[in-house]
Formats: sequence, C-alpha cells, structure tokens
Amino acid sequence: MNGQRRLSAAVAAAVVLMAAGLRAQDGPRMPDGKPDFSGIYTPPATVKATGPRGNLIFNADKMAPVKPGAEGLLYEARNGDPRHDEPRAMCLPSGFPSGMLYILPIQIVQHPKHLVIIPELQRAARIIPLDGRPHRAGLEPSYYGDSVGRWDGDSLVIETVNFKRWILDDYHYTDPTKTRWHTDALRTTEHLRREGDKLHYRITIDDSKIFTRPFSQDFELTLRPDWDQLGLLEYVCEENNRCAGGNCRKSDAQ
Amino acid sequence: MTRLCLLLAVVGLGLAAHQPVRAHHSEAAEYDSNKPVKVTGTIKQVEWQNPHVWFYVDVKDEKGGITTWGFSGAPPGALLRRGITKDVLKIGAMVNVEGARARDGSNNASGRRVTFEDGTNVFTATEGGR
Repeated sequence: MNGQRRLSAAVAAAVVLMAAGLRAQDGPRMPDGKPDFSGIYTPPATVKATGPRGNLIFNADKMAPVKPGAEGLLYEARNGDPRHDEPRAMCLPSGFPSGMLYILPIQIVQHPKHLVIIPELQRAARIIPLDGRPHRAGLEPSYYGDSVGRWDGDSLVIETVNFKRWILDDYHYTDPTKTRWHTDALRTTEHLRREGDKLHYRITIDDSKIFTRPFSQDFELTLRPDWDQLGLLEYVCEENNRCAGGNCRKSDAQ
Repeated sequence: MTRLCLLLAVVGLGLAAHQPVRAHHSEAAEYDSNKPVKVTGTIKQVEWQNPHVWFYVDVKDEKGGITTWGFSGAPPGALLRRGITKDVLKIGAMVNVEGARARDGSNNASGRRVTFEDGTNVFTATEGGR
C-alpha cells in the first residue's frame, strides 16, 4: 500500500513537473496567470498561403463567396484620385486590418486590463480593454473600429466593430486597376495564442454586406528580443512624403 | 562596423533580390519596373526620413552636364533592422544605382541595388513577401 502511495505521489509529481515544463515552453505569464504577449514582433507573415502572397493581402482562395451584386462593394476601380486609390500613399490612415498586417514590426504592451498593440506603421496604437466591458455605443464609425478583448483559455480573443468603409487590404499591390474594400458592416475577430517565441494570429473577417459567410486567415509573428534595445522607431508619414500618389514634383529631384 | 553592416546588407540583398518590393504605397502604381534605371554618379544628398529614405545622385554626361536623380528606398526603420544605416550612403561616394523609373517620367526612381566602388552593394528597397 505504501508502495502504491509512493507510486501515486511520484506520478502526481511527474504530472506537475510536466505541466510546469509545458507552461514554461509556452512562454512567460502575467502575475494573473494569463500568457504574456509583451514584446516586439516581426511583421505578420501569412501561413500556408496560396495564390497572391503577401503580409497584407488576403488570399482569394481563403475568402468567402461574394454575395450576388456585392462585387462592386468589394472591388472599386481606381479613379485617379490618390486619396481614393491609395489613401496610405497620401499619409491617410491605413486602418485595420491593413495597418497591422504590414511589413514593419509591431509591439505588444500588456497590462491586466488592457492589451496595447502598436504597429510601427503610422504608430496607430490599438488600446484594447480586457475588463469585460461592452463595445462603446454611439460612436462614429472609425478606421480602426472599436475593440474589446477577452480570454478563452490561453488565447486572447479580440472583437472589433464600428468600422467606416475603407480599404480592406493591399490587394492593389497586385492589381493596378482595382482596390479592395470592406463596408461599415465589417466585424473582425482575432485570436492570439503564444507558443514559445511564436505568436499565432488568426483574423476572421465578417462583412455581411459583401460575403456569404465569415472567413479566416492565419498569420504567424516571431518575437524578436534582439529588437528590444532599439525599440519601435518614429514613423511620421508627413515628414518627407515625396512623389506622393505618383506625382513627383520638380523639386523632388534636386 | 561599417564593413559588418555592408556584409549584412549584402546577405540581405541575396534574400531580398527575388522578393516583390513593398512600401507604404504601391510601387507598381508609382514606378514602372519595365523602365529600369541604371546610373553611376556621386551621392549628393540623403534624406533619412519617413515614409521612405530618399537619396540623390549627380550623374555627369559626356559634355560635363550634371543631372540629379532621386531614388526612393525603404522606410528608415526597415533599413536599420537590416543593418543598413545612414552612414552607408555617404555624401560624395561614387555609386551605381539600379531602380525602376517613376511613371511620370521625371528623374526619380525606386532605388533598389546600390553598388559602391569596391564592388559591395546594398539593397535599399523594402523587403516584402515574407
């Protein structure tokens, strides 16, 4: 009997040690036991992408079918006005999600009540409450929407609503004739899960005015502790936006 | 240190050479990759600023006339993390620059490969398609 008890105790100890080991592998945790996502990450890279590949271009093969008659809401032809054709080239807001799924790093700063995601691009910080509050009511639609976060086990789920109609992604990098948009019906759901130095990131796009159903795309970010010392850099688009919108002035070549 | 930077940059070039060029705007809309530019001259001015680094190269023709070309590169932060600092593009340095000309026909281009007199080179455009 004593032998059985000793065996049970040994098994229990082994299980505890294994669990602790797995937790350590998963990465650091906050004092409240939640995973700690803090750090600077590489730009999000698409996972298992086929078709046009890019950090910030949704793969057509992963997108949901477009509702009949909604093609014109998803794609708009360039009209020659750079504020419409490529707002970011004129230093207008990139918006979400394209402002986050970009080729520059992002920094995550975590607090028990907030998660702050700062893309280096345009330094447009997303400050996401984690305290269970509902979405804010009565606000005008915005470029980055209104986000709230909640924990689902070790995954952080961020839901964002109240977007204004804006460019969805950088599809226009692959097609010089059209741009790809979302409507004000857009709702996004992001799932963040850390595994060692990897941050698995899934975004679900739900735009009921355009698509027959929601669709998701997966990205992976890599923690870069070696970038901590340098930190994020300033990004003031208006500083020296020469040849904006493809219109070089004589003074652009001096 | 500069040599280390250059070495890192050359390695970066190898990784980036076949990647699409990305920036805060569509390169394809502003620059025409079917109109390659290749000039040799001296660096006149460097603007290490957002949203894109710009550098200017004075190119002398057979008659002694000088034409200044402007080249747009990656954001400063993207270059810095690849080990390319402002010091790499020294004022007065003789360089050969390859790029894609601005669609408006001006003497501006998207700068890509910059080769120095000693044969080393750096890739000044944005890496993308990771």
